[in-house]
Amino acid sequence: MANFIVWVVWCGAAFSCIASALAVISFRNPFFSALSLIGNLASLAVLYLLLGGEFVAAGQVLVYGGAVMVMFLFVIAYLGDRTDQAPWAGGPSWQAVGTVLAAGAILAEVLVALALTTGGHLSHEAHIGRSFGSPASVGRLFLTDHLLAFEVTSIVLLVAAVGGVVLGSHARALEDDARP
Amino acid sequence: MHGPDVAWYLVLAGMLFVTGALGVLVRRSPLIILLSVEIMLNGANLALIAFARHYGHEDGQVFAIAVMAIAASEVVVGLGLIVAMGRRDIELDVDKLRTLRG
Amino acid sequence: MTASAWICLALPLASTAAITAAGNRISRRGAGYLSTATTFGSFAAAIAAFVRMLGETAHERAHATTSWTWLSAGPYHFGLTLLTDQLSVMMMLIVTGVGGLIIAYSIGYMDGEDEERRYFAYMSLFVFSMLLLVQSGTLLLLLAGWGMVGLSSYLLIGFHQDRPSAVAAAKKAFVMNAFGDATLVLALFLLVQHTGRLDYAGVFATSPRGGTVANLIALGLLGGAVAKSAQIPLHTWLPDAMEGPTPVSALIHAATMVTAGVYLIARTHVLFENAWFVEDLAAALGAATLLMAGLIALVQVDIKRVIAYSTMSQIGYMFVGAAAGAYPSGMFHLMTHAFFKALLFLAAGIAIHALSGEQDIRKMRGLGRTMPHTRTVFLIGCLALVGIPPFAGFFSKDSIIAATLSRGAFGDVLFACCIAGALLTGVYTFRLFFTVFTKEGDAQPHLHGKREGPFSMVAVVTVLAGLSVVGGFLQFGPVWTPLTTWLSPVAQPFAQASSWQEAAASAAAVAAGALGIWVAYAAYVKGTIRVPKALPLLERKFYWDVFYDLAFYNVADFVARRLRTVFELPLIVGSIGEIRAGFTFGAGEASRAQNGLVRSYALALAAGVAVLAVVFLTTR
Repeated sequence: MANFIVWVVWCGAAFSCIASALAVISFRNPFFSALSLIGNLASLAVLYLLLGGEFVAAGQVLVYGGAVMVMFLFVIAYLGDRTDQAPWAGGPSWQAVGTVLAAGAILAEVLVALALTTGGHLSHEAHIGRSFGSPASVGRLFLTDHLLAFEVTSIVLLVAAVGGVVLGSHARALEDDARP
Repeated sequence: MHGPDVAWYLVLAGMLFVTGALGVLVRRSPLIILLSVEIMLNGANLALIAFARHYGHEDGQVFAIAVMAIAASEVVVGLGLIVAMGRRDIELDVDKLRTLRG
Repeated sequence: MTASAWICLALPLASTAAITAAGNRISRRGAGYLSTATTFGSFAAAIAAFVRMLGETAHERAHATTSWTWLSAGPYHFGLTLLTDQLSVMMMLIVTGVGGLIIAYSIGYMDGEDEERRYFAYMSLFVFSMLLLVQSGTLLLLLAGWGMVGLSSYLLIGFHQDRPSAVAAAKKAFVMNAFGDATLVLALFLLVQHTGRLDYAGVFATSPRGGTVANLIALGLLGGAVAKSAQIPLHTWLPDAMEGPTPVSALIHAATMVTAGVYLIARTHVLFENAWFVEDLAAALGAATLLMAGLIALVQVDIKRVIAYSTMSQIGYMFVGAAAGAYPSGMFHLMTHAFFKALLFLAAGIAIHALSGEQDIRKMRGLGRTMPHTRTVFLIGCLALVGIPPFAGFFSKDSIIAATLSRGAFGDVLFACCIAGALLTGVYTFRLFFTVFTKEGDAQPHLHGKREGPFSMVAVVTVLAGLSVVGGFLQFGPVWTPLTTWLSPVAQPFAQASSWQEAAASAAAVAAGALGIWVAYAAYVKGTIRVPKALPLLERKFYWDVFYDLAFYNVADFVARRLRTVFELPLIVGSIGEIRAGFTFGAGEASRAQNGLVRSYALALAAGVAVLAVVFLTTR
């Protein structure tokens, strides 16, 4: 029974994931694209939960959905109505063909890679304990094995913050600089 | 509690990645392109977490959290650029931004 | 001994280098003095070597000194070897002595010329080159000197660079000399191939005797000699070379360079004796040249050209002498000819200088009255040239003519040519004298106060006149032969005339010369013999120039034009243009990838990722 529920949840989340992703790239109004992305993030959070990553799922919703997407929506609101043209319009004609081919090739390769290289290994899942994916265990890893990544990430965040402030600073000052 | 095998998640991650790539290649508004990049990153995250579950180590989750942080930083900078462009009334169409034409 | 040889060689080179390096820092006069001083310094060194040599026996007199091995490859060793022996000392004395006098003369003649320093640098270069030629101990070094005198001649003929005729004449001289150089080099190749060495002693001992190879070697040497000495068929450059300044004509084209061919024959006489056919050919060419040049000189109106053809004719005599086997006689005539021919040129130079460059003898009439000193020295030179005793030419020319009598039937033909040539010499020489140095005429020379020219010029011609008077007493027939004795170890003559042959030859030659003078007197002074109109054959110089133009220049021009249109333009220039067009096209097409579209670049990235994924999949 539990298995069945898991499968149902999985299918629903997967379907909404794909659907929202396609919606993001299809809508002409960026506002709707952003909203679709929020839906995508939510579906992904569900999938993370199914995979035992509770902390990651929470982080996904809070950070991605709560901070990043809000920022997106603010900017879209600030920029006003910027309804884009139809997705496949514009550019050289060979580009459309090439795009489809490239995307299809990558997908095919992923599937082939999965089929060829993993053999039967992917059916044996490891046994996990109750504290798998808990904040405590993830945090311990961050502060012991992956301390360098932790520190570097914090610096990157600092750099991004400074960059964001500089880029968004008062319009007049920048325009003064821009004038010859 | 069984569910789909890891392989299913991985296929899903691949499809997400390709969808994001398609969005980057097809759309012309920098905003939508940025959103598509987010989709690609999410696809990678999903793959990481799936593997973490498969092998029983949380290292994949650690990696995914780092990716999330980096994605956030990148969005900050990208949106800053878009705002700056918007302020100067530069048209937000990558096909029109052709100064690098050689 | 060897030190004086090196000093003799090095001084003119040092002078050239110093004048060139000093540039404008040395005064023009100073360059002239430096050049003269170094040349006389070389003369002193040559005297020293000569005096030292006098004290040695005949066998000791060959001194070879090598300073530096230049080329050492397998069995071949060529070095900077100087040979100081009787023949080379004689030439050294002539070159530096007469050369020094002429360079001193140039101080006055070239005074005020803008490029005077360059002139003296070139003159010193020439003296050095000529010394290198005569002092070299190997044929290779002789070739080096040979080429350098050709270069100096080119530089000096074309000295007045702004005159197209001078430049053309310089090129003509150089190209003809280059032809001779080429045949000379071929002869050297054959020698190396057959003997493995180029030093005189070795070559003379081991070169083949008789046969095709010997003939070819001698022919190659003869080709070089003929070009350098302006004999038929490579003679057309000499009259044109008169475009150079008069002292240049005197030094290079009368006294020294053009006699290099005679020196070569005398030096390598062993190789010529190994090839009788070629030696006879040389004599025949000499005889033909002396007749032809004498005939052409009868109709020339430029004073320098008359003297130039006279030079050509006299060198013909030297060739006849050398090729007939009388090497000392040929060299003797070389020496006396240097004296009186330089005298004639320089005296003519005084007249030309006084008349501000006028060289047409029809416009130079009357100088006999206004320039008596020049008239006197010119007369001395003319008498020496015609061979009237007791002047120098008599002794030297007659010994050559006498030698021809001892060579059988072929020698008799040469004898006849020489006598006819003596007659012609008398006529054209005194035609010149009676036309220019008459008592009545219109020429208005401007004189330097009491003197007829600058001091240096007048002094030098006086000295040369003195030499023309006494220079002949060095050797007289079979009676007194110090020169033959001196040169015999190096160049043993094999044509010795008997006493009655000498007497007969002298008598005939003097008679012919006197007859020629009388004819000229009758025609140009008294007017009793009517002067016929000049034959076109003579005026066109026997059509040699026309022939060469047709045979070589027109052909070369035609071939060059054809090659340009058929081959060069389409194939070479066109192909380069096409390569350029191809590159431009390719680059243009490739640059279409840089269309500035971000999406195209992103697509390229994605495609690259796809390809890489395949690579990783297949190669693991």
